[in-house]
Amino acid sequence: MKTSPKTSLRFELDGDPSAATLRLAGPVRRDVVAELNTLLERHAPGSGATLTLDLADVEAMDSAAVAAMVTAFRRARDAGGRLVTDPLSEQARRALATFRLGPDPQPKPAPPGLLESTGGTVIGGFQGFVDFLQLAADATFAIFDALRAPRRMRWGALAEQSIDIGSRALGIVGLITFLVGLTVAFQSAHQLRQFGAAIFVADLTAVSMVREMGPLMTAILVAGRSGSSIAAEIATMKVSEEVDALTVMGMEPTRYLAVPRLLAIIMMVPLLTVLADLLGCLGGFLVGVGYLDIAWNAFLNKMLEAIAPWDLISGLIKSVAFAYGIGLIGLFYGFRVRGGASEVGRTTTASVVASIFYIIVADCLFSVLFYIVL
Amino acid sequence: MPEIALSVRGLKAGYGEKVILKDVDLTVETGEIRVILGGSGCGKSTLLKCCIGLLRPMDGEIEMLGQRLDQLDGAERTALLTRIGVLFQYGALLGSITIGENVALPMREHTDLPESVINEMVRLKLAAVELTHAEHLLPSELSGGMRKRAALARALALDPELLFCDEPGAGLDPLTSAELDELLMRLRDRFGMAVVVVTHELLSIERISDKLIYLAEGVPIADGTLDDLKYSGEDEVRAFFARQAAGEMRGPQTALEALAAGG
Repeated sequence: MKTSPKTSLRFELDGDPSAATLRLAGPVRRDVVAELNTLLERHAPGSGATLTLDLADVEAMDSAAVAAMVTAFRRARDAGGRLVTDPLSEQARRALATFRLGPDPQPKPAPPGLLESTGGTVIGGFQGFVDFLQLAADATFAIFDALRAPRRMRWGALAEQSIDIGSRALGIVGLITFLVGLTVAFQSAHQLRQFGAAIFVADLTAVSMVREMGPLMTAILVAGRSGSSIAAEIATMKVSEEVDALTVMGMEPTRYLAVPRLLAIIMMVPLLTVLADLLGCLGGFLVGVGYLDIAWNAFLNKMLEAIAPWDLISGLIKSVAFAYGIGLIGLFYGFRVRGGASEVGRTTTASVVASIFYIIVADCLFSVLFYIVL
Repeated sequence: MPEIALSVRGLKAGYGEKVILKDVDLTVETGEIRVILGGSGCGKSTLLKCCIGLLRPMDGEIEMLGQRLDQLDGAERTALLTRIGVLFQYGALLGSITIGENVALPMREHTDLPESVINEMVRLKLAAVELTHAEHLLPSELSGGMRKRAALARALALDPELLFCDEPGAGLDPLTSAELDELLMRLRDRFGMAVVVVTHELLSIERISDKLIYLAEGVPIADGTLDDLKYSGEDEVRAFFARQAAGEMRGPQTALEALAAGG
């Protein structure tokens, strides 16, 4: 098809401003409506004036033309003038008769003011926190229930989730923590060598990996990988009424959906953390042996001496706490979603941000707790 | 204005290896409401998808408003698409913007109309489906039937010459459904718009259809006016209008028949 050349409106304007007549001819379709609208704006009848639209020679009109005329009609009426269409061609009459005049434009509801929106945010945040605690309590009880009655446990779903959260993450968690171990060792090697204390790279890497970086990096990766997928999956189920269907069929969504995911994440994250600890230490070991030229057995011995059982245990305690939080946050955001596709995306992002925020804050609290209080 | 709004010749279509539609011929004239009938899974939706260019036909040709969509691209394809409207089965409104913005979307995208005219056009279209009060609401705040009507308003945004409706009456109460039919007929009368409707609603079929086509397992087995189909030679077509199961109940025997008879 050749796009039709830009047509222009055929019109004639007669009479004085108080009683003008605008005669339109030919097809009045949306390609000329912008022009028609400008014309109608320029000759809008003022108070007491009348603009007559002569549509006798109009061959065709579409809804854009009708809209332009209705807009002009409202504008004239508001200004105290009049706009009438007379006479009409058959086509013009039909087009005007097709559409019903809607009510006057409603103003868009004004966005809430600063005070209202601040209050709304605070109340919403508080309510959200209460809902979160409620979900945490429900889910925790559901886990204990499931453990007490193993027959009702969905073992298949648990295995599926464990594979998803655990084994599929082995590669990325191993690689990242290996690189982190390498980096930590490398950075500290430079500083410690100045004091002739290069051998202490072993202590530093081992302790920081096992107590801190292993659990932390694993948790952040799992939050990005699995926390987001929990939130997105449950949110999609919520939006497509699958969650409602489960409720109505007598299967509590917290039990049916939350328990396998929470149990899987609580079991898998500590296991991933052990891998992270090992590979982080391996990274440090390679720097010690390869870059600092320390005998491998000396470096290894130093590493093993540096780690007390409590270091490992405290790291694993942290990782369980991180896992539980990531799972709950993912579930909470998933269940809370309302609306459509765009909300699913937003809620997934929010869940990852909240998870990582939680991980960092909890890590900080644990560090203080383990070193100072205990 | 072309006399033939839609012409499908020898269409064969399907997904992957699976052929759903075979030898489909269909002609829709301007100012005609054409109803596509058939049982579930007979290929009605596939036919619709082929027509609007969402599914590439394996064979045969589809001409809309004198042009073949599959041979156009770029601006020409867009130009043709602005002349058709599609009402999807579940509305398919964009969830992140209001009803008014949904209706305005094609107008903003494809015309250079001033904002005041677009706003008035949105209200005209919403008034046509009686949804003016919902202009500033989000789709998720509406009921299913209201969403359907809003989707129709969006499909009508650019005064299409050819409108495709996938189950327009599904999920609507009879009153709203009748008003929707009324609206379709009014638009057809006033603007000579051609309408292709996929529907199961007998009441609605009797009200609006000028011509019908009945698909059975991907092949049209009846094509004609309502009376042609009601007195069709095909049992399945007659049964459809008599609201009866075609033939006797087929398929496996019941458990009672099997067990009580002792195997």
